[in-house]
Amino acid sequence: MKPIAEMTEAELAAHVQQHLLKRGIRVVLSGGTCVTIYSMNAYVSGGLDLVAEVYARPQEISAALAEIGFERHGRTYRHPESRLLVDIMSPPLAVGGEPVKEVREIRLATGDLRVISPTDCVKDRLANYYYFNDRQCLEQACLVVASTEVDMAEVSRWSTGEGQEAKFAQVRRGLLDAEAARRQKAPPTRKA
Amino acid sequence: MYLCCLDEGYPRQIARFSGSTLSAIQRQLDRLESGGVVYSQLLGRTRLYRFNPRYPFLKELKALLEKALTFYPEAERQALVMTRQRPRRAGKPL
Repeated sequence: MKPIAEMTEAELAAHVQQHLLKRGIRVVLSGGTCVTIYSMNAYVSGGLDLVAEVYARPQEISAALAEIGFERHGRTYRHPESRLLVDIMSPPLAVGGEPVKEVREIRLATGDLRVISPTDCVKDRLANYYYFNDRQCLEQACLVVASTEVDMAEVSRWSTGEGQEAKFAQVRRGLLDAEAARRQKAPPTRKA
Repeated sequence: MYLCCLDEGYPRQIARFSGSTLSAIQRQLDRLESGGVVYSQLLGRTRLYRFNPRYPFLKELKALLEKALTFYPEAERQALVMTRQRPRRAGKPL
């Protein structure tokens, strides 16, 4: 197997996921690393946010991750050969007030990676902009839209459901511009 | 309930209000943060807690707490809802 120090964010996430799965803990990749994947590395994340689909006791998670060399540091886990922090977050797997309905699988050298869709990734980033005014996350949402096909009608519907029509109206132009730039560059390669 | 009524709070403030020990409040806030129910931010040297607006059951949780508040003894309910929230200019006497 590839040494951990040489694994990309996505490969490390798949490695951790596959090992946790062997111990009966199912997790899905969410957060900034999804932006790294869907923006074709235009953004580099500092950690892996893995959301448990069903509640697992912290002791079980710690024991499982210790088997592959991860040590607990507060609420996160770190491997001595990797700069990435791993955070195992409690269920439910959600974006704002809605559950995540689609989990994608991407085949990698270290195993199959279970990850939220590009559309949910954009919602996840926009939620941080809507609720915490985090402009970095707005930029990340635009990076995803500029690189991968995203269902903008669904993002609009979700934003309305979150009570964020006004904020969506403010950012819609930027997202549509990013989408137009992607269409000009190349035909769509992935479906949202 | 404190966070529901006052929007935010720090552990010592909540402990003082509820008559609990600081460690007990810190432990509960830590659990709630792990579960995604609340989030915290450092403000100077104080860690301030608020409900996490991204928590998927927040609306329902707040509705439950609001209803529970109506069952509180009047003195406790008043203490929660009548705490001054509006700002006061620096130097202005109370």
